[in-house]
Amino acid sequence: MLPENITLVVGRNECWSGRAATEPFEAGWAREAVIFVRALKEPKGEQPMARVEISPDGMRWVAEGTEFRMPSHEDGIAVLRVKHFGNWLRVAADYPPGAECTVLVTVHLKA
Amino acid sequence: MTSNVPTNDLIEAMRLALLRADPKLSRFDPLPRIISHDCFSSGHCGWSQLVGNYENNLDTMLPGYAQHTSAMLSTLPHWDSGSHGGMGSSYALKIATRPRKGAQNVAIKRHTFRHRGTIRFEVYFTFKPEATELNLSETDVRSVGFLFDLQSGDQDDGGQRVMPHLRFLNALDGQHVQKWQFKRRTTELKPIGDSDKTLSHYHLAAEDWEDLPGGAQRLCYNEIPTKINWTYLAFDFDLAEMKALSFRCNDRTFDMSAFEPIRMPAMKNLWCMLNFGLFAEADSDKRAFLYVDSVCISGDF
Repeated sequence: MLPENITLVVGRNECWSGRAATEPFEAGWAREAVIFVRALKEPKGEQPMARVEISPDGMRWVAEGTEFRMPSHEDGIAVLRVKHFGNWLRVAADYPPGAECTVLVTVHLKA
Repeated sequence: MTSNVPTNDLIEAMRLALLRADPKLSRFDPLPRIISHDCFSSGHCGWSQLVGNYENNLDTMLPGYAQHTSAMLSTLPHWDSGSHGGMGSSYALKIATRPRKGAQNVAIKRHTFRHRGTIRFEVYFTFKPEATELNLSETDVRSVGFLFDLQSGDQDDGGQRVMPHLRFLNALDGQHVQKWQFKRRTTELKPIGDSDKTLSHYHLAAEDWEDLPGGAQRLCYNEIPTKINWTYLAFDFDLAEMKALSFRCNDRTFDMSAFEPIRMPAMKNLWCMLNFGLFAEADSDKRAFLYVDSVCISGDF
């Protein structure tokens, strides 16, 4: 049997501003996750660092330590890789006033 | 002279004996051909995100579809008691809404059919809201349900697209309703973009749900948001007559004589379509979760 792998779209055409995050997703079966964040439109304002967050219950979130700069231009792609995350994962970013980015967030999980 | 050819009765008896000796299939009552048998310890089994139609720009997608996200594989982990697990493995398919009253999410499995006969859709499922409060939360999930999306063959006269829908309306505006409903109307078909190639409609709009006569049912919800029990349902639909034949949920069998699917003229690119959808709706600003332990889709051919 081939090892399971899956691509999840967890945010599509969502405009991130203020305190933004993907919906939580469960990935406990996976040994690794690669997450891509693509800017679908030209971002506005200063683009913040985004971060991977993990959780004991899908409701309370803790920074995992992996950070990345949000893309600064349309079609720019940020990527991050995580290996130790337990079950719950999400991506979050805090935008300064007036800044925003319309994102496509895809998660690639592999057993 | 005696014949060595087994009779149909013997063949059926052998089929049932083999099914009932298989621990994973024995809990189902499949028709003679098993089209798919989905256990989610072996992956998503083709249950993907229902993405809305669009043309040139994702902004053209209807808002009902834009809210959808991918289903996930879950062990039903709870903050107070750990992973609940499924019936026969650790995993179930989880369809989660966003935390907003009226939010919906849909997972879909896309096939085509090769025979116009009865299709049986059997599911073991359960539902709960996200356990953000230490109370029963029994009215936070509006509904869970399923739909088929079907279209006749390209050579059929009077071709139709047919979409039977059934939902368990658990709660509406905080009232614990607990009844099955169906739908015979969808929203107007609207062109998406300007090429005249793509249309869209929102068949899960809040309007036009009708009560299934005799469809009140109290399911096992259990006593706190983190305890779940698996529930069985089976729906039979005849692809020849495009008509519902029967619907069962646990110990109840419902009269389907008043049931009607959504019907519309055939569309340009959907011939012999045989799609199955599973959906959840929230009735409060909490995520609603539909968990599916296993699905068996079978046909009489």
